[in-house]
Amino acid sequence: MSTVTEETPAVGCLICEAPNPPDAAICANCSAPMALIHDSVAQAREPRIISIIGDSNVGKTVYLGMLLDMLARRVGDFEAIPKGAYSVHLQQNVVGHLAARMFPPKTPMEADQWYWAYYQIAYRSKGKAWFDLIMPDMAGEALAAEIDAPRSHGVIRSLLHKCEGAILLVDAAVAAQGSAGPDFFALKLLSYMDNVFAVKRDERVKMPVAVVLCKADCCPVAFDDPRIFAETNLNRLWNICDSRFANVEFFAASSVGSLGYVAHNPQHIVSVPLHAAPRGIVEPFEWILEQL
Amino acid sequence: MAINFFTRKSAPATAPPERKAVEVVPGRSGAAKRSQNRAIVALRSARPSKGEAPHEPAERSAYDSDPLRRMLQQRRYAAILDERSRWQAHAEAGRIFAQASEAREQEMALVPAGAVTLSMSLDETNGDQERELEVAPFTIAVHPVTNERFQAFVDAGGYDELDLWPRDIWPHLIEFVDQTNVAAPRYWRQGRHEKRLRDHPVVGVSWYEAAAYARWVGLRLPTEMEWQMSASWRIRSEADLVRRFPWGDAMDRTRCNIWGAGLGGTAPVDAFETGAAPNNVLQLIGNVWEWCDSDFEIVDQENRAVFGEMPMKCVRGGAFDTYFEVQASSSFRSGHVALGRTHNVGFRCGADAP
Repeated sequence: MSTVTEETPAVGCLICEAPNPPDAAICANCSAPMALIHDSVAQAREPRIISIIGDSNVGKTVYLGMLLDMLARRVGDFEAIPKGAYSVHLQQNVVGHLAARMFPPKTPMEADQWYWAYYQIAYRSKGKAWFDLIMPDMAGEALAAEIDAPRSHGVIRSLLHKCEGAILLVDAAVAAQGSAGPDFFALKLLSYMDNVFAVKRDERVKMPVAVVLCKADCCPVAFDDPRIFAETNLNRLWNICDSRFANVEFFAASSVGSLGYVAHNPQHIVSVPLHAAPRGIVEPFEWILEQL
Repeated sequence: MAINFFTRKSAPATAPPERKAVEVVPGRSGAAKRSQNRAIVALRSARPSKGEAPHEPAERSAYDSDPLRRMLQQRRYAAILDERSRWQAHAEAGRIFAQASEAREQEMALVPAGAVTLSMSLDETNGDQERELEVAPFTIAVHPVTNERFQAFVDAGGYDELDLWPRDIWPHLIEFVDQTNVAAPRYWRQGRHEKRLRDHPVVGVSWYEAAAYARWVGLRLPTEMEWQMSASWRIRSEADLVRRFPWGDAMDRTRCNIWGAGLGGTAPVDAFETGAAPNNVLQLIGNVWEWCDSDFEIVDQENRAVFGEMPMKCVRGGAFDTYFEVQASSSFRSGHVALGRTHNVGFRCGADAP
């Protein structure tokens, strides 16, 4: 493994800024791929980071994979070009699994095994100016571990500190069944972000946060009015958004049109996406871009 | 009664749905684009833009006080013809029977006897889980049921007519309401459909509402074998050809309203003419998934049964938001909870061959 010497100038990681040898594949400090900084240097512009955050099993990988694929298929006012094959792996993985009526496997805890997407995006509403965008597929478990023990997963803190917008996924189907789990996780996550940005008590975090009520195909009422749904079913989340975040909007989304189940054994029931029907996927992303 | 094998495009004799004139252009691609463009224009004009009132209710129809004339007005042609003996003494029986007969000929297309292969596995390539089934001749509606058609059912008190509903669903009838708690499809308001979507397929109806409507008009839902036969057109012949799509073997986004077509919503039921089956049945692929009169049964790769949170019925054909083209083919099987009332599931009617 090469090391940083006087002869080989160090390259700072795009995420945590730690120095790394120029031929390093991943950052020795946070495990983010060094291809991000190399691509960024090649483009001669600072990429923007939008984070997809949420609890484990909420559907971050599917959401992000579908979003990237839809952008690549020129949905709405967007054009998107992936920078390098590593940026395509995520969408290929998600699309391949959904087309075969399976959900993709869980994202591993280790950051060096996450998918990272580096895209060039053009958005007509912004005068079709191209900008670079990085969106990582963070593992929910890693996110939860970092929230519970801050600085245990430095890459997450660095990422959230650097990101210009966040898409917070909340399981609408579970929340609608009366479980407070999604509400508590979102509360903890936003409280953590409040600390990351270290905003004074009388100020509010300015970073735009799109709260996405996902899996809304199982809970169509979330589509009717996401704000009312959140206020009613996710009251803790609603209140912290109101008091600590200046720029929040609520959305509902789903990737699957119909869901079946298979019992692998009585204790292990697996969801089956019978067909894909993305709904509300692009709108939160579009809203974030409008806020930047 | 004679049913034309290739259904004509002329309007039915009675209470015709408003159709726009279509210029016939030689060449498939030109016609396909024209058809799609027309759908896009119709869709855009139908969608309320920002700042507009979100819901423009359809006007109320004045229904005839005479029951037979009212049935004709409600386009319950099959119901009229099935009950001929009941109306023989009616002063206008002859004229009304003739009109109903002609209208039914226009609206229903004959599908000849044939065969279908149902893949009973999530993995469609698993030949061990295929069922080969013979299908008797039947008729199927040329178009999915529109909001305007379903409005007549709502206006006639169809949700209160218990004979139309299976007894076990009666306790759920109070759940079949619109956005304002009136008995009607889910996305309507005050029991009225959005005026600009009158010729779009009705959505937000459960399987039971679809079946009740079909019964009310004297028809039924097609089985999934019948639906697949209509789309794959595997008629009895030496060649034994199967179509992946009603128009042929290659997906063509100009011929159907799926995600890749870019409309982002339903289109009028008479759009995408170039996607018609050989007997001129439109929109079997795309626009809305269609409820079928079959339970949804399928197994996974390990032959374990797939089940739903509640009993599921078959839906076929894909919808405007179907993302994967392989999931919008004549053989792709999917299911939905029978009580589900979603934005992308509608239906069309079928009947036994006369």
